[in-house]
Amino acid sequence: MTTRTRYFLFGSAGILVAGLCTGLLAYYGGFPTVASTAYGPAELSYVPADADVVAYANVREVMTSELRARLKQVMPEHGQGQNEFEQKTGLNIESDVDHVVACVAPSASDRNGGMVLVRGRFDQVRLETLARQEGGVVEEYRGRRLIRTTHGSHGDTSAMLGFMEPGLAVFGDSATVKRAIDTHVGGGKNVTSNDALMTLMREMASGSNAWAIGRFDAIAKRANLPDNVSRQIPPLHWFAASGHVNGGISGMLRAEARDEQAAENLRDVLRGFVALIKLQSSAKPELQAMLQSIELGGTGKTVAISFSIPSAVIDALPRPKHPAG
Amino acid sequence: MKRTPISFLSSALRVFDLSIGEMLWSRRTIFMALVVAGPVLIAAITRGVASLGPVMQVNGTRIAGATIFGLMIWVFYLRFTVPVLGVFYGTSLIADEVDDKTITYLFTRPVPRGAVLFGKYLAYLVCTIFVVLPSVVLVYLLVVPIGGTLAQSFVPLLTDLGLLALGLAVYGALFAFIGAEMKRPLLTGLMFVIGWEPAAMLFPGYLRRFTVAYYLQALVPHAMPQDSATSLIQAMFRQAPPIGASLAWLFVFWLGFLYLAARAVERREYVLEQ
Repeated sequence: MTTRTRYFLFGSAGILVAGLCTGLLAYYGGFPTVASTAYGPAELSYVPADADVVAYANVREVMTSELRARLKQVMPEHGQGQNEFEQKTGLNIESDVDHVVACVAPSASDRNGGMVLVRGRFDQVRLETLARQEGGVVEEYRGRRLIRTTHGSHGDTSAMLGFMEPGLAVFGDSATVKRAIDTHVGGGKNVTSNDALMTLMREMASGSNAWAIGRFDAIAKRANLPDNVSRQIPPLHWFAASGHVNGGISGMLRAEARDEQAAENLRDVLRGFVALIKLQSSAKPELQAMLQSIELGGTGKTVAISFSIPSAVIDALPRPKHPAG
Repeated sequence: MKRTPISFLSSALRVFDLSIGEMLWSRRTIFMALVVAGPVLIAAITRGVASLGPVMQVNGTRIAGATIFGLMIWVFYLRFTVPVLGVFYGTSLIADEVDDKTITYLFTRPVPRGAVLFGKYLAYLVCTIFVVLPSVVLVYLLVVPIGGTLAQSFVPLLTDLGLLALGLAVYGALFAFIGAEMKRPLLTGLMFVIGWEPAAMLFPGYLRRFTVAYYLQALVPHAMPQDSATSLIQAMFRQAPPIGASLAWLFVFWLGFLYLAARAVERREYVLEQ
């Protein structure tokens, strides 16, 4: 072997090894760990570590998107309800809300509890007054003012509205809201310590302005569904969805099945379904771009389906007919 | 004085040592360099374009780096680079020596004829693997960080590297056999890669089992792109065999064709045209 050949082989092997070491370092927490300390919205520090579902939506980006502008043209809204809400609460959803984080977590009675954290600009006094007028009772919990309202046939279910910090409101069932405060103030483990969920979040959240990740089996178990219904539910472990709204909508749904066989069955069902839709819609050219974008993927226990609704499809939507005069 | 015969393996390694440089610095390597540099160049351009905006979009659709990487593995490497390099290099292992009328010199050496083929096959494998796999790694490093992390595609990268190496080994063995057995091996090889494999993969049924692509594609960790009518039909009728069965069949093809190629070289009388 000549020296030139040897140099070439060493060079190639060097590139290969360097690339693999970089990937390995990233895989075992080198680069992402550094990034993950600041990963995701700051409100995740309120979400308990055992949350079954975590979702996020960048309301501001969605509200200012081209898609919404086009939808407004196609389907002009009757803003009466929105105006009434704004007059009552002082909150304009289009301009005052930045983003929301929602979660579903197990409550003390082993049922699903949930809350929504809203980041934006609020008239706190006005909202508090409104809640008290509606029968809310103000209480203090670990330095936070919370307004409790009771509902249900026996008044046994309570929900809470509170302000965690300036510009951050929370609404949810009282047990979950209190757990959120404990998690944040008491330094308890929050969802960022849940590696499985955070790994999925990193994958799904990048480049999207809305996403949701959750444990399907845990929710289904606590939902106490009838036997005949729960038997029909596919044996899924995790599910994840992400979407990006701008000129159009693009999104991805991903699920992790219990085993490879269950995933293969689900893929077969989806594959047939997608093929059927594509064949059925061949006569509708306006839908072709969207249908061609549907892509089924995933290997092993993972099933994934992605799609894209281009702006042309929105433009092709039938406009509502207004009565003349 | 009695000379001890050289073993099959050391004979093959001698031939490998002789052939690797010859193969690496031949005109054929320019073609190989172009084939593998193309995806790297495209990956670099994609990365450049992606750095101009926060989200990479193609025809208004947001695409993450991991998706682009999967697409490039399918389109550039699996469907093109691996079978084409297999054809060009595999068929030439013995055919080039016949065309250059140098096979006589090799066969008059005190080494088993099969070892000549095996040594040349090893040289082909090292040569292609050391050119193709670094190119895949460069594409991974350039493309995957677009809207994602290197960690998320690391396991698929390892799978890709393994299946591409296996693909080069199997296609190389198949075309080494064709090169050793047939008169116009390049034409036969191209017909197999461009004609038979895509056609057999289009039809539902058992025909696809007589292709290498059927088993190789079952190992790919990325979604099959639906970039043309052919791909759409393939995706509709796709029946991926289990991973274990695919691996087993690929190993059977590999060892089987390598054995047949060595046997063909041992038995065949190569008549050199004057």
